Amino acid sequence: MPFGLSLLAQEESKAVWGIFTAGQAGAFVAVAIFAILVYVMITRARAGQSIREIHKIPGLDAISEAVGRATEMGRPVHYTMGLPSITDPQTIAAFPVLGYVAKLCAQYETRLINTVPDVVIYAINEEIIRQAYLEAGRPDAFNPDDVRFITDWQFAYVAGVLEILAAEKPAAQILFAGPFYAEAMIFIEAGALAGAIQVGGTASTAQLPFFVAGCDYALIGEEIYAASAYLSKEPIITGTVVGEDYFKFLIFAAIIVGTLIATFATSNPLATFMTS
Amino acid sequence: MRKEVPMVLTVLAGLFVIVAKYLHAVDQLGWFTVGNRWFQIVYAMFFLLGVVSLTIVHGKNVQRRRSKWVYSLILLICMYGYGILTLEQTVDGPEANWIYNNIIVPSDSTVFALLAFFITSAAYRAFRIRTREATVLMITSVILMMGTAPIGDTIIPGWGTLAHWLMDVPNSSAMRGIQIGAYLGGFAVALRILFGLERAHLGGAS
Repeated sequence: MPFGLSLLAQEESKAVWGIFTAGQAGAFVAVAIFAILVYVMITRARAGQSIREIHKIPGLDAISEAVGRATEMGRPVHYTMGLPSITDPQTIAAFPVLGYVAKLCAQYETRLINTVPDVVIYAINEEIIRQAYLEAGRPDAFNPDDVRFITDWQFAYVAGVLEILAAEKPAAQILFAGPFYAEAMIFIEAGALAGAIQVGGTASTAQLPFFVAGCDYALIGEEIYAASAYLSKEPIITGTVVGEDYFKFLIFAAIIVGTLIATFATSNPLATFMTS
Repeated sequence: MRKEVPMVLTVLAGLFVIVAKYLHAVDQLGWFTVGNRWFQIVYAMFFLLGVVSLTIVHGKNVQRRRSKWVYSLILLICMYGYGILTLEQTVDGPEANWIYNNIIVPSDSTVFALLAFFITSAAYRAFRIRTREATVLMITSVILMMGTAPIGDTIIPGWGTLAHWLMDVPNSSAMRGIQIGAYLGGFAVALRILFGLERAHLGGAS
């Protein structure tokens, strides 16, 4: 059946308020409020008005320390994103940090090894690192062989990284930003055995305890998403983080109101609206 | 132009997903499903890049007889050999299936099993009582380990209940707090891309 006819044959689901897909109206309103808040903060930043600053994030400050240590020891830096996917925001949040690390490595003349288990991310990472070396004024120092696609098979990738950690003995390992799964703990311990200083960050909550326990510096949850604003010190990007903080207050208010309604009222209009 | 065109395409793709996901009239057209199929096709095309990368890196190792070049040779033989085999008899063919079940799966399980040893050594490093946080971590983990093992309730009745309370109340609430922040952070990143503020994925450090 042709594509259009097959769609006509589908049973029509009911629209909410005649506009939204069923189950998406509440989410759309929340998204719209969030987008407006972020836009207002960006506009304030563009106009030069004062906005709040991001608090100190020791994990991000430690990255330059880690690269510096690798430079002093004459050993490479290893950067892994875990099992990244281009559809995951954690992976998107890792790109600016990879660029920052690559630029530092280029400036300090330190070798950067980036292992990747995803072919799309491999292509993007290679471009990010190449550009970072170019921006640092050292395009000749970029070695494409140091951006390595190993395999997209989780534990085969782990085996490949273990070999690199054992053979190359990096002095610093950056595990940023995920998503990470069972391989995280193996990387962290193998990095510790190689004597590497380790900076890790993820929003994969199941792996967070391992990062906190095993890494020298750990970034928790939303800190990874503030990385690009923190490292670039760009007021406009900082504005998006501030907008996010204000929206968090709204969520806390909604949680309190929702809890009170669920406790004392017979029906919960807030829950009904959010799932409408 | 090198960065502008991909940036515009990214913004358009982002808007397309929002419109296709939320608006009922557009949702009925099935664009979201079609977009997903496009993504899968483009993604599959990228695999060629991975094969090229592996061939270049390991081909150089073999050509220049670098240390451990034999492993590179084995990798290339396995990659191309298994590829040709599955092209000839599909992944369900008898030899391809045998290799999968008797070599790939046990190798995978072996590497996964390393986790048990690494968790133990990480626990040893983390539980050394050096700071106030490490002390709290140590006490909590002892309560949890004893509470989830049958011996805990046998020694002190109610220990299991305490362990479950720790998991269900303080642990869950902290995790959910982190998750709310993480989801909002992820969405802020998406908005930065939609507004054209986040451009790191197009290359460079800035």
